[in-house]
Amino acid sequence: MISIAMATNRSAQRPNGAPQTKVCQFKLVLLGESAVGKSSLVLRFVKGQFHEYQESTIGAAFLTQTLCLDDTTVKFEIWDTAGQERYHSLAPMYYRGAQAAIVVYDITNQDTFGRAKNWVKELQRQASPSIVIALAGNKSDLAAKRMVEFEEAQAYADENGLLFMETSAKTAMNVNDIFLAIANKLPKSEVSTGGAGTRVLNDADAPRASSCCK
Amino acid sequence: MNHEEIKAVVQEKFLSSEKVTAFLCDAKVLHPDWVKKERLLAIVEYGDEKAVFCLFTSCYPPKSFTDLSVEIVLPVDNTFKCEIDNKPSDPEAILYLNLQSRNNKFKFEIQMTPRVDNFVDDLFRGIEAVNKLQLQPEFLWLKKYNGKNEDDILAHTMVAPRGGVTHMQNSAPVAIRESLIKRKMSDKENDYTFTKKFTVFCGTWNVNDKSPVIPLKGWLSVDKEPPDIYAIGFQELDLSKETFLFDQTAREDEWYNAVLNYVDRRAKYVKVEKVRLVGMLLIVLIKEKHFSHVRNVICDTVGTGIMGKMGNKGGVSIRLDLHNTSICFVNSHLAAHVEEYERRNQDFRDICNRTRFIQTNQQPKGIKDHDHIYWLGDLNYRITELDPQTVRKLVSENNFLPVLERDQLKQQHKNGYVFSGYTEGPITFKPTYKYDPGTDNWDSSEKNRAPAWCDRIFWKGNNIMQLAYRSHPPLNISDHKPVSAIFVSEIKIIDEEKYRKVYEEVIKQLDKLENELIPQVKVDITDIDFGTVKYLELQVRTITIKNTGKLPVEFEFIKKLDEASFCKEWLIVEPYKKCICADETCEIQLKVLINKTSACKMNAGIDKLYDILVLHLYGGKDIFITVNGTYERSCFGCSIEVLVNLNKPVREIPVGKLIELESKRDQCISNHSTYSIPKEIWFLVDHIYLHGLKEPNLFEQPGLHSEVLQIRDWLDTGSIDPIPGSIHSVAEALLLLLESTADPIIPYNLQSVCLRASANYLQCKQIIMELPEFRKNVFLYLCEFLQEALQHSAENGLDSKTLSTLFGAIFLRDNPNVIQEPQSRINKQVIDKKKAHFVYHFLTNDHSDLIFAR
Repeated sequence: MISIAMATNRSAQRPNGAPQTKVCQFKLVLLGESAVGKSSLVLRFVKGQFHEYQESTIGAAFLTQTLCLDDTTVKFEIWDTAGQERYHSLAPMYYRGAQAAIVVYDITNQDTFGRAKNWVKELQRQASPSIVIALAGNKSDLAAKRMVEFEEAQAYADENGLLFMETSAKTAMNVNDIFLAIANKLPKSEVSTGGAGTRVLNDADAPRASSCCK
Repeated sequence: MNHEEIKAVVQEKFLSSEKVTAFLCDAKVLHPDWVKKERLLAIVEYGDEKAVFCLFTSCYPPKSFTDLSVEIVLPVDNTFKCEIDNKPSDPEAILYLNLQSRNNKFKFEIQMTPRVDNFVDDLFRGIEAVNKLQLQPEFLWLKKYNGKNEDDILAHTMVAPRGGVTHMQNSAPVAIRESLIKRKMSDKENDYTFTKKFTVFCGTWNVNDKSPVIPLKGWLSVDKEPPDIYAIGFQELDLSKETFLFDQTAREDEWYNAVLNYVDRRAKYVKVEKVRLVGMLLIVLIKEKHFSHVRNVICDTVGTGIMGKMGNKGGVSIRLDLHNTSICFVNSHLAAHVEEYERRNQDFRDICNRTRFIQTNQQPKGIKDHDHIYWLGDLNYRITELDPQTVRKLVSENNFLPVLERDQLKQQHKNGYVFSGYTEGPITFKPTYKYDPGTDNWDSSEKNRAPAWCDRIFWKGNNIMQLAYRSHPPLNISDHKPVSAIFVSEIKIIDEEKYRKVYEEVIKQLDKLENELIPQVKVDITDIDFGTVKYLELQVRTITIKNTGKLPVEFEFIKKLDEASFCKEWLIVEPYKKCICADETCEIQLKVLINKTSACKMNAGIDKLYDILVLHLYGGKDIFITVNGTYERSCFGCSIEVLVNLNKPVREIPVGKLIELESKRDQCISNHSTYSIPKEIWFLVDHIYLHGLKEPNLFEQPGLHSEVLQIRDWLDTGSIDPIPGSIHSVAEALLLLLESTADPIIPYNLQSVCLRASANYLQCKQIIMELPEFRKNVFLYLCEFLQEALQHSAENGLDSKTLSTLFGAIFLRDNPNVIQEPQSRINKQVIDKKKAHFVYHFLTNDHSDLIFAR
């Protein structure tokens, strides 16, 4: 039998079951007191490595890493900033225009948690209003020396609408997960991000092998 | 933005030694993998060497050099070629620029504007010049723009243009990354696809202007299994003048409906597309269950009739993607007449060259750009080397071989003149032309033509097998018989799980590549301590940057947010921007010099010897360099009001006290002050008065810098030794001290009044009378001293004009905080003359009345 299907538009796009790829690029910045493990988190996330004696960051390190989600590909451009107080005034250079931030503290050091709260406040005041902020309680492998209770941090994160996880760059616990959680929370359509630094390309043809270049 | 402004932005992308001599906007690079978006073409000159750069711009027009990324670099050497074509359809407006250098070839589409002439002229001059050279240039300067291979270049451009951190715009690299991903995925296609067999029915019939008055079942539905795809082509659907001239016919629907009626009824089919040009109609149908896997359906038509464009001859095509295989169907009606086989070959080539499937955001595809191609139609090739009777006789005996050997198409195909790369199955059916309509009898007309296999089916592509190739004589309404072929074709299907895996691998590789290519450097020292820094004493420190990465690195000290400059005014960084090749090092000098402007701020506690510099690597990280030092406070740079209150040498005053005094200097009241003029001024003046009034060239010969610094220390420490240095050094120290005071002796706000009054001594006196107490004291004290010095002009060679010019500039300083309108030199001379005039009165008139008036 014949059925005359839809009045075809010459190049109409139809669902075809093939995987679609959409690449979204986001700027992500890491903030927090020095020696809480910002660089270690990035190194674990990007290269799967951990150095017991990670050099102190003097400046802002830059790396990229891409995550494949179900329907989109998220590329992070990661700025890992120096934690020392004397560089505090330079931080806006990095969080300005960022779509995501991870504020890191050390669960064995109460002061770093206080410092993290200040960073959150500063971001809420000065960064883009749509910024996705995640709070990371790092060094969860050192639970024996814990000074910041999980519940306390969780309650603080809930109050402020932050993503929250305790992480360990050393054991890799929750490292990918926190980046993944951020990737999932970031808006993926061009309209909603609309900000500088991101462009979304929707490539309907991506999985097609282009035969013309063989 | 005008042309020059854009040019300035483009120039910023390069080093100052690399000059952009010409450039073109909105050039489109034509490359199958690259996004067809506006590019900028620039000719860049470095010494005698030239190169063409193709730059990707993330916004148009580019607002900053960070919007630009270098995509292609073509050195203009003796292999460089530049050719220009017109676009045939639009020869006025569009040009194609073909550039070739070494083994790289690129084609650009450009708008014809007057700028193009300049650009091309400049380019040809470069080519001419380089071809005259005995020795080819080395183009070492291009090294930093070139990667090792294409991947590197692409990857490099992905990371390179990140630019200043504060204004990051990364859209351009995303597009490049996309095309890179696409290409890598295409290379690995076999890793994530499996194949599945699809049957394809191709049919062709020249219906000779007839309507579908008979059933088509005997042609379209005779096989065991219904095919997955039907591609059915007709020719001579309608021979009326109207159709030929206006391309309108009702036959299209008649035949289309007839096809729909007679395709295999055991399956359900839907239309993929149909396309018609005059009498040529192509219909593609697919089983409904496959329809959701069909994408990017596009058709095109090419007329090759009279004037090379009328549609009575030519070809119509439909392309589609089925799963991961691209398929193209072509139905053509080639030139008629027995002897015209070369014309038919030409028609074939024209259809190949002119068929263009246009897709949004993609390079147009041609027929050849497909995995599977099926070409059917009335190709019109004949039998020429046998007379009609012999042909008829051989054919009636089913002895086709001797006839097929003389088939023009077989001959032309064998020699590669037509359908090169295509295959045709063996012909086991009688010629399909020419019959008396309604019969199976050969043409009985006067022309008595030899029978011929006009109607044929060819294919091209891997994994296609022909199952049947036949004619259908019972369908006899036309002078042609319909022909059909059945194929089994392997279609590549994406395994989604595997696709995902491969995709993630590709992404991982790219990330790795990209992170490896991020510039890496080592800076030997990030904390620079200048120790004690004294007024006017230059101090230099050196830092060394080593490029430890694989690619050249461009660094620049960048501004912090909301700051006008990347460093404080007392710091000089040389060079502040440079490119370092891999494994090479660069020394950067940091120089601290505290002059009067910065000394005033240091004394007042507004500034201190501390700064953090941001060393940015293009496409990479930032490194913070901290600069630190202790400023040794000095009477230089203090205000007169503070100096008169200091009963001890400056160094003995605690820093905090000095800062407090400076911040409250406006409140100083004469009664409470220790001195009526600063003791430092008195020391210097008194020394000259006692020992130097007769010194030849007083105030004209410069002192020694080292002695001036010793005098500075002598004043600041309150030494009891005799004042060090020559009279000339003392005189210079005096001038420097007077010039360095936080406020000038005559306040800035009175300057214009003074200038206006300069011709009138009485008015000048009046102004001086009204000066703040200590300024007036200093002014009159110095004028008295200068009058004294002029008494000895015979020995010291002074004259009142020189002195008043010298001191005019000191007493009436220009306000550095007020941005002066660019003064003409004449205007400046007039002002300087007026200043001198003002002082002159006080050097030549007796003004003791002013002193005694106190």
